[in-house]
Amino acid sequence: MQPKKQFSSSQNSDRQGSSNQDAASAMPFVKRRKNCPFELAKVDGIDYKDTETLKQFITERGKILPRRITGVSYYYQKVLKQAIKRARHMALLPFVADE
Amino acid sequence: MARQRKALYEGMYIVSATLSDESRKKAFDKILDGITQKGGEIQKMFELGRKKFAYEIDKRREGYYYVLFFEAPTAIISELWKEYHLHEDLIRFMTTRTEKVLESLDFKPLKQQQV
Repeated sequence: MQPKKQFSSSQNSDRQGSSNQDAASAMPFVKRRKNCPFELAKVDGIDYKDTETLKQFITERGKILPRRITGVSYYYQKVLKQAIKRARHMALLPFVADE
Repeated sequence: MARQRKALYEGMYIVSATLSDESRKKAFDKILDGITQKGGEIQKMFELGRKKFAYEIDKRREGYYYVLFFEAPTAIISELWKEYHLHEDLIRFMTTRTEKVLESLDFKPLKQQQV
């Protein structure tokens, strides 16, 4: 019992020490900064003809990347989805790309 | 009833690339005429040229791309689609509503502001 208590108390003090240094890293739920590439670039709409931009948001296989990876905002992910699907219809982007 | 609603549209057309320049032009003129005859008005035309498809369409690997901006009564779009489906040299088409006519089809890349 005794050593366990000691261990936990030392851990606690450690955490406190680190939180004093930088509070943000020790906080359990840190608010992530907005970093949607479309919001940063202040675009108005995503064009389906702009394949170079769209290609950044699909995998090599041609799948649409989830926004937890790309950081695209909820709104722009929906706009992006529509643009990619339009580009696919016009054979500008693949539905399934060969590896 | 009598009032016609008009809207701005953007159309993308893929014409067969196997045609000669002349017959391709003829095929595309048919598309242009279809719009103007029904009361539409062509605002801007882009010729994207020969492009490779991302996938095969009817055993074809490439096509000739056109982009049109036109203002037309909303009712004629469905009529045009019926016409396009009968068009033999038109491989694929898409008409979408747009807000404004683009002056060029060059797009700026997104700024990379990763931290």
